[in-house]
Amino acid sequence: MRLMVFSDVHGNLEALQSVLADAAKRNVHRSIFLGDLVGYGPYPDECIELVRNVKNCRCIAGNHDVAALWETSPYGMSESAKEAILWTMGQLSDENKKYLAGLPDRLDLFNMTFVHANPYNPRGWRYVMDRKYALRSFAATRCRYLFIGHSHRPLIITRKHFFSTDLYAVSGSQEIVVKDKKRRIVNCGSVGQPRDKDPRSCYLIFDIGKQVLEFYRVGYDIEKTTQAICSAGLPLTLGRRLLKGT
Amino acid sequence: MKTKPHGQRETTNLKQRFLLWSALILIGGGLLLSALSYWNTRRLLMADAMTKSEVILREVEAIRSYVKEELRPKMYELHGKDTFISEAMSTTYISINIMERFAMTMPHYTYRRASLNPHNPRNLADPFEEEMFDWFEEDSTRLFWQGIVKKNGDAFFVSMVPDYFESSCIRCHGSAEKAPKELTDRYGMDGGFRFKAGDLAGINSVAIPVSEPLREAWQGSLVLFGMTLSGSLLLLWLLTLLFQRLVIERLGVMLSLVAQKGKGKGKSGMATIGDELDVLHASLGSLRSYVRSARKGSSLQPNFIGDYVVNTPIAAGAMSWMYNGRAIESDEKVSLKIGFDEVLQNPLYRSCFETELHLFETLTHPCLPLLQERVEDVLVLTEVRGRSLYHLCNKDPLDDTLLLHVFSQLCDLVASIHAAGIVHHDLRPQILMLDEKQQVSLIDMGLAVSDQQQDPIVAAGLGPQGDLLYLAPEQIQGKRGDPRSDIYGLGLLLYLAATGHLPFTQKRRSTQKWMQHKEQIDTPRIYRSGLSPSLEQIIIKALSYDINKRYQWVEDLWEELDTIKRTGGIAGSTNT
Repeated sequence: MRLMVFSDVHGNLEALQSVLADAAKRNVHRSIFLGDLVGYGPYPDECIELVRNVKNCRCIAGNHDVAALWETSPYGMSESAKEAILWTMGQLSDENKKYLAGLPDRLDLFNMTFVHANPYNPRGWRYVMDRKYALRSFAATRCRYLFIGHSHRPLIITRKHFFSTDLYAVSGSQEIVVKDKKRRIVNCGSVGQPRDKDPRSCYLIFDIGKQVLEFYRVGYDIEKTTQAICSAGLPLTLGRRLLKGT
Repeated sequence: MKTKPHGQRETTNLKQRFLLWSALILIGGGLLLSALSYWNTRRLLMADAMTKSEVILREVEAIRSYVKEELRPKMYELHGKDTFISEAMSTTYISINIMERFAMTMPHYTYRRASLNPHNPRNLADPFEEEMFDWFEEDSTRLFWQGIVKKNGDAFFVSMVPDYFESSCIRCHGSAEKAPKELTDRYGMDGGFRFKAGDLAGINSVAIPVSEPLREAWQGSLVLFGMTLSGSLLLLWLLTLLFQRLVIERLGVMLSLVAQKGKGKGKSGMATIGDELDVLHASLGSLRSYVRSARKGSSLQPNFIGDYVVNTPIAAGAMSWMYNGRAIESDEKVSLKIGFDEVLQNPLYRSCFETELHLFETLTHPCLPLLQERVEDVLVLTEVRGRSLYHLCNKDPLDDTLLLHVFSQLCDLVASIHAAGIVHHDLRPQILMLDEKQQVSLIDMGLAVSDQQQDPIVAAGLGPQGDLLYLAPEQIQGKRGDPRSDIYGLGLLLYLAATGHLPFTQKRRSTQKWMQHKEQIDTPRIYRSGLSPSLEQIIIKALSYDINKRYQWVEDLWEELDTIKRTGGIAGSTNT
């Protein structure tokens, strides 16, 4: 069983298409999308349509998805993010709004938990990038693996023992064997807006049989997306972020 | 509910069975009452005998003690140490003589002083008393015995106490040479000597005859039994009259109606399969089938639902029928999913049915008929053609290529269902249709549940739902919601498709028996010796009793089947 986990598309259709094309070559059986289909990017409706049509794919809700439905206020976000959300609200079809509204906050599948930000307060959208929130997240699920997105940085947090964790920032494409029995929080990075100074899209495939986490970085036409951001009237800083990967 | 085939049940009518069982219960009750009465009388008798015999024994003990401690020392004092007068100094002589006088007025009470080596041969122990000597000698802490002893055909309640020599007794019971002359003159020098202090001197016993009272108790219980029997027969006669009036005659009227209904089909054999209630039950079953077949439209004019004609049924699901249908205007063939009446009337099952309809509305897969429209509680789906997997695999395995083709579709379907967070719970060959283009169609999801909603069956605390034959062991235990249960279902389908047989026969069993059967599955090679070991391993793994030893993902099952497909062939031969 090979499970694709990807997150944070943020309306970046070019990046999403590249990732799906790359994954199609890698014998993926199922996919889980960890939220934030919309926000920042110029193609929110198209991205939702595309993900909905991915075979055997399940999605969960991200903070931008719920903000685009006014379920949470976008005014707590950064200026560019707020502007993009307000723009996105006008772009979404009713059917896609209905689809986003039906997305769950959390999924549990055998020994895996999937959430957008964290499992202890899924709608609090707190980043899990340090020991304190990692331990709190481990306590909130009994599953061995916790897959998250939200921070846009691929990361593996391994629980060494009850009070200690080990953080490993994943760079580039690489395979990580996880055959030991330790519990892990795995951040799959971002498809549409990576922030680890590598502008390529990031996603992972978890080979459950072999117990290997395969992180992949996929390049896409960033210029085209940047131009689309400009054309849509979205803040230009969003395009510059994509080019820098920050 | 099915009735047993003719010949397996004894042919008897309800009245006879009622009479037989009533008579058995009443006679049994009478016997029990008599036995209890006898047992109680005997218990009281024994308690009385026990008290009386103990009183007498203690009285004798007191006499012996008086002689030993008062009379004998006084005689020594008056007549000197060398004197021995049996009538005034021998405990045995005195106690026996007193009790013989006692027995003259109370002949039923027999006192005995038995010894293995007595002065007086009259006191020699009989065989039973010898056994009791052994018993007392085995354990010096045994100080009393009571029980019933049979002598010359009569029963006696006997109480016994042992008597041990003290040093004062040894003068007369030690050395014969040193014994008083008066004693040896009277009894000789053979018996009653060579003892020492602490030896078991003898056994004092009192016997009370109990034969006569026991006989009277037995006769009393017989009289009681006779009276109970007479009363029972009278009661039975009254009950029979009442039963005849209230039940049999009315049942007869109903049966005559049923018999009139059945005349068209000739004598169906219903009248001989059991008593009147069995006949009525079979008739109602037949009537139910008739109503159902009428509902199907097979023997009546077609029914209409909205703009559709309901034709013949395709198969029954967990909550609904799937019918062939036809659009009146366009003449297009369709399938109609119609809930059972009992499901639509039951809120719990109706919610399951609603879930099923919702799944058919939302899920899309080549193996699921497409939704055209919903007419109230009826789903109009695209036409489902072909025959069920159950009919196709009956006794004959599927062709190897077809098998892999079918299971590639099935695994893909189940993977899609699982990926959507749904567990089917009821994968059976009867609800999987295969058309002429070898396209699989799943026509029922009545027991399916999504992980995004509460399972109504679990919430209601219901037990296992569905045909136990096809359920995974954990489902039989009442667990739901685990996708690995569907992998077990796929394993069973694979077993059937590869061999033409199921590993179990369809019999009524308790859930415990089913669990045992599920734990010990016959290898598929029993039915198809040429089956490839790799496919056999796949089937066995999918059917693992332990859920953790099964394939954890349906994709893993398919990957292994695909390997067989790529490496070529399922079997070298198709022996069945």
